[in-house]
Amino acid sequence: MIASFRAENIKTRKRWANWILVGILLAWIILLTYLTFFLVVKLSPNSIQGPVPASVLKRSLFPENFVPTVLRAAASIGAAIMLIFGALSTASEFGWLTVQTILIQKPTRAGVLLGKLLTLGLATLLVGLAMFAGAALASYAAVTLDGSSSAWPAWDVMVKAFGALVLQLAVWTAFGAFLGIAFRSAAAAIGGGLTYIFVGEVLLGNLFRTTPIVKEVLKFLPGVNGDAITAAFPVTIRETGATTQLVTAGRGVVTLLVYLVVFTAVSLLIWQRRDVGGS
Amino acid sequence: MAEALAVETHGLTKRYSTGVLAVNNLDLRVRAGEVYGFLGPNGAGKTTTLRLLSGLLHPTSGTAVVAGAAPGSPASLARMGAMVETPAFYPYLSGRDNLRVIARYASIPKARIEPVLKLVDLSDRARYKFKTYSTGMKQRLGVAAALLKGPDLLILDEPTSGLDPQGTIEMRALIKELKTGGRTVLLSSHLLNEVELTCDRVGVIAKGKLVAEGTVDELRARSGGIALLVRATPLDQARRLLESVLKPEQVRVDGSALVLSVDPSQAASINRRLVADGVDVSELRVSEQSLEDVFLQLTENPQGPKA
Repeated sequence: MIASFRAENIKTRKRWANWILVGILLAWIILLTYLTFFLVVKLSPNSIQGPVPASVLKRSLFPENFVPTVLRAAASIGAAIMLIFGALSTASEFGWLTVQTILIQKPTRAGVLLGKLLTLGLATLLVGLAMFAGAALASYAAVTLDGSSSAWPAWDVMVKAFGALVLQLAVWTAFGAFLGIAFRSAAAAIGGGLTYIFVGEVLLGNLFRTTPIVKEVLKFLPGVNGDAITAAFPVTIRETGATTQLVTAGRGVVTLLVYLVVFTAVSLLIWQRRDVGGS
Repeated sequence: MAEALAVETHGLTKRYSTGVLAVNNLDLRVRAGEVYGFLGPNGAGKTTTLRLLSGLLHPTSGTAVVAGAAPGSPASLARMGAMVETPAFYPYLSGRDNLRVIARYASIPKARIEPVLKLVDLSDRARYKFKTYSTGMKQRLGVAAALLKGPDLLILDEPTSGLDPQGTIEMRALIKELKTGGRTVLLSSHLLNEVELTCDRVGVIAKGKLVAEGTVDELRARSGGIALLVRATPLDQARRLLESVLKPEQVRVDGSALVLSVDPSQAASINRRLVADGVDVSELRVSEQSLEDVFLQLTENPQGPKA
């Protein structure tokens, strides 16, 4: 497993696609989530009136709220990016046939995959750190440029939030890696995964959220459980249209941990048993 | 004393989920230190066999021992290097970085990388990305990767596939060089002259079954390697006469001549019979069957006895 982890390290670091994904994620958070919103709130004419005044709304960009902001990003763009990251990591091995090259070296099949998953875990941790730092810096810039003042969340809140962030990202990475192994095609894994996130969970999940039977199903889905964890870190301004969470944050954490274990175990099972090559 | 075997299979069988029987009850014995040619037409089951020996496929039934251990086990993999089907590497990494990745998987010191790059003559291009490599360079990198472990057993699947004539000659020279130091080389190919030029022994596979095994000369001999070639006019009359005198399966039309699978000592009597029947004989000589003839005979009639 350690040999595989060391080998994966080179592959992951030197793959441009991975850096592009991280770049998109950070650009999304800093440019879209913070900069664009900051400019809209700052430059919008006073004549435009909304349910929440701009002077209050802009506080969602300040350090006091960077935790819920970064967690929301993790649930949307973060989920998509990490799913692609995980899927590329495993599915590309089949696309390039490198799976047969790595499986005829010394480690066992399980060792090869565990090393890969360990690398994905480390990368997820680093991406989470970059997201956290990026959002913190952007919120600091926002409050400084605005000339206002804002308090940072307490350390224990930040530590818990970072854990929640990494857990959510890790589940989507593991989901992507599992889809890559199951489909053996990057296009199918990414297409299927993104369709699940945006059409299944976001669109259909929200449309039929009040339907009793759908509501029961939604309680077991990773996105809904991730949202419940995010909701445990509320913004300090009054929000309109906030949805009621279907599960508690505690249950959300347990459910996501179960997903993490299940995706890993099923990936290992398929990886271990499946023939490589031939028809 | 029992001979040391690098590869031994008993009743190895692989039936895919699609129902295709790719390898059928294969008994293969590759001796340690030899270059063994695994010969067969496309689709005969060569690559499937090599995948089974590398642990990439799970057999439907049968057993195999590769480099002293079960296929795909760390003990077996540690002592073997393989290039199966096509050299598969990461396109965004350089040749050298691809070998670094493999060295890390195999827990080999990176000091091994430069010598194998030099051996396959890739040192100058090792810094370029794999995706920019020509077919020949990809093949050579594949061989370099297989050699990285300094393996006792080297499995090469169609190593000259896609190479130009110069590349083919270089690859053959490299394979001969690789045999040094008691290394066993298992080489699959559908190219007869390649096997003839590089291998100590040959196994012929057709429709998943081993139909013959031995040295090239042994295969020629066992397949009726010596034959009589007869040019006669009219050819059809000569064929009918000889089929009635000999067994029909001993007479084969090869272009404008007849090839007779008989002992050359019968040449004089056959000549007398043809002339007595009014057939003009313009040529009658002993003909040594080419490996192509042997190969066609074996693979077109895989039910025939195993040599």
